[in-house]
Amino acid sequence: MTSESTAVNASEGTEPEDESARQTPINRLEEEGDVAADYLEELLDIADIDGDIDIEVRNGRSYLSVVAEESAEGLDALVGQDGEVLEALQELTRLSVLASTGYRSRLVLDINGYRGERSTALQEIAENAVAEVKAGKGPVHLEPMSSYERKIVHDAVADLGFVSESEGEGAQRHIVVSAG
Amino acid sequence: MLAEALEHLVRGIVDNPDDVTVEAKSNRRGEILEVRVHQDDLGRVIGRQGRTARALRTVVAALAEGEPVRVDVIDTDRRR
Repeated sequence: MTSESTAVNASEGTEPEDESARQTPINRLEEEGDVAADYLEELLDIADIDGDIDIEVRNGRSYLSVVAEESAEGLDALVGQDGEVLEALQELTRLSVLASTGYRSRLVLDINGYRGERSTALQEIAENAVAEVKAGKGPVHLEPMSSYERKIVHDAVADLGFVSESEGEGAQRHIVVSAG
Repeated sequence: MLAEALEHLVRGIVDNPDDVTVEAKSNRRGEILEVRVHQDDLGRVIGRQGRTARALRTVVAALAEGEPVRVDVIDTDRRR
């Protein structure tokens, strides 16, 4: 598991404001994420599937993404045709959170970026950065992103024939796009 | 591996994980995994309209890489 996507920890310990009182508190979402990650990680261990689990809390939900460190083949099986296996695994993961915390979880599980909800936006970010580099603006620093999102951007930049590298540590880790 | 994976998946979603057992048997049609849980957890493992049992079967089938495998949730009380 990576320790990178901890940007939300900054707000840990703050009391929810009145307007957000109906939302699930951040610390509970973080707990959900941890329980879910343990459940998934042990499954990957048992099945001997290579995968990194990234936890993020945003928009009042926990998001877990499993990405391959090297070979994506084993994880592809866990996505299945039309994401059928991914849905089943998400369902079970939510139930595991219910069993250990008593809370119904709305967590979202993604594997190998199948959901790609954000991937279209990331593709655009990559294209814009490449356009800026082409226009002679020099290396372009992007906003900090999770390892999962950085991978999508790295791939997009490489497809466009440019070079990207990650810089910074922890919550500040971000991509720099250059001509190489 | 399949039995171990299934046991982990089931243990994680029940109130009495220590009561979960998975027994692997095989016949000519392939492997059969028999799941036994605490009577109080039976509903959890089967789920509304069998949804949870279906999810367990889907994941196990994916891990089986094309080998035929059946998952049976055994209602122990009824068999006594």
